[in-house]
Amino acid sequence: MKMMLTIIFRLTVSCLIAGTIMGATFIFTNKAKKVNEFAREEKVVYSLLGYSTANPIPESMGMHEVFRYVVTEGDSQTIGYLVPLGAHGSDAGFSFVRINLEGEYVDNTDIALTADSVRDLGDRNAAIAAAFGDGKDIRFADQTIIVTDHGQRTAYLLSGKFPGFKTHIAIILALDPGYSIIGFEVMEHEEDPGLGAEIEQDYFKNQFKYKPFEKIKTLEVVKAPIPDDYFDALEGRIDEAAAIDVMKQYRDQDIYALTGATISSVAVSSGIKGMSKKFAYRLDILDKVLQEQQIAVPF
Amino acid sequence: MANKKSNFQLVANGILQENPIFKLALSMCPAVGISTTVMNGVMLGIAVLFVQVFSSVTISLLKDFIHPRIRIPTYTLTIATWVTVIDLSLAAYFPAAYAQMGIFVKIIVAFAIITMRLEMFASKEPITASFWDGIGMGLGFLVGMVAIGFIRELLGSGAILGHDVLGFKPLLFFILPSAGFFVVGLMMGFFNWIETYYARRKRGEA
Repeated sequence: MKMMLTIIFRLTVSCLIAGTIMGATFIFTNKAKKVNEFAREEKVVYSLLGYSTANPIPESMGMHEVFRYVVTEGDSQTIGYLVPLGAHGSDAGFSFVRINLEGEYVDNTDIALTADSVRDLGDRNAAIAAAFGDGKDIRFADQTIIVTDHGQRTAYLLSGKFPGFKTHIAIILALDPGYSIIGFEVMEHEEDPGLGAEIEQDYFKNQFKYKPFEKIKTLEVVKAPIPDDYFDALEGRIDEAAAIDVMKQYRDQDIYALTGATISSVAVSSGIKGMSKKFAYRLDILDKVLQEQQIAVPF
Repeated sequence: MANKKSNFQLVANGILQENPIFKLALSMCPAVGISTTVMNGVMLGIAVLFVQVFSSVTISLLKDFIHPRIRIPTYTLTIATWVTVIDLSLAAYFPAAYAQMGIFVKIIVAFAIITMRLEMFASKEPITASFWDGIGMGLGFLVGMVAIGFIRELLGSGAILGHDVLGFKPLLFFILPSAGFFVVGLMMGFFNWIETYYARRKRGEA
């Protein structure tokens, strides 16, 4: 009995010490980590849109963030979209537009947020909760960036997460206004190195490039080796113009699975399929509602 | 148990006589699963080296306070703590390195070689010896992973470190998981053969 107590006591103490060390490291490093992640996200977003530090985004372009929330009140559920108001660059505040599950407009509330504070999950949730009061469960679902140039939409940026072979795979997906794929970047994953982790490689990622929305709706994965000419084009081993020609030929083909990592390949392709289909459906409804209610948005 | 080997011998021991992969046959999962390219081997090797050295030193420092009945959980805790600390620090201060290595650091917690080395060596030996043993084991693992990775990458994708050297892909089989067993097995045999050969020569038989 005494031995058991000693063991319990010592194990508890060891766990507490280990926990304290890990917790302290987390507190020390978390801020720097978030800064890094944000910087990386920004870089990825720019590179997906074809810009870099050498070739910066022009002034006329706007990145408008739309946050989707699920609002539960008793038995009924509505979807809330937090959208910016006014023209590009006017910073005219934000509005929370609620739409029910049938796609009909419910109501519209102004939220006290600025362009900076809207980025912080805590600030944003607090402001929305303050505007609505109690009795509602408001959960953040996802966020989308609508990119405009001179008031015209040029791209949509979606961040999404879906199950991979081991844990979740987080990606940022860029779509053009017709919902065809511009490109995607893997932000976070824990697939096996050498197998599933190959989803980060160009020869896999670029297969999705310029796939039309009609094809994405029925996108499948085939277990076949990638033809050599296609592989070279995807990896950028031949010059750009020729690579685009080759990629055009394969545009309506399915995705070639990664060797030894079919599950990861299927996870990514069906994840992208789901993300684009759902986004297209949701955005159509949101657009319809915004137009009917005459809500002025910058996108 | 006092240790009679010099620091250099401890390092050499980890690389040759007690190579974690070829002689001790520990941590075979990563050796088989991840060793598809040289780069993977280098990354995982470096990650293991750091965790092994830190954990060995920690356990050697704390060996008098660890109750013998709970030593294994304590080792696991120590490894997990170091893995977490290294993972978080890399993510915060070396984002470029983290993008490359993050995935390898996270899978180390379950590596048999580290636990085994803590049990066999660090929990009995002084700190300096444990430090050098950790370095030796880490390097031994790195060397083993790179050797397997070299063969598999060369024969599987016809490349070394991502550079095309052969111009064609000899046998796709080599980058599939099952080939890992063949390569590891053959290299184990090769290592043993060398050892027997030299042992015999020493005795003047060959």
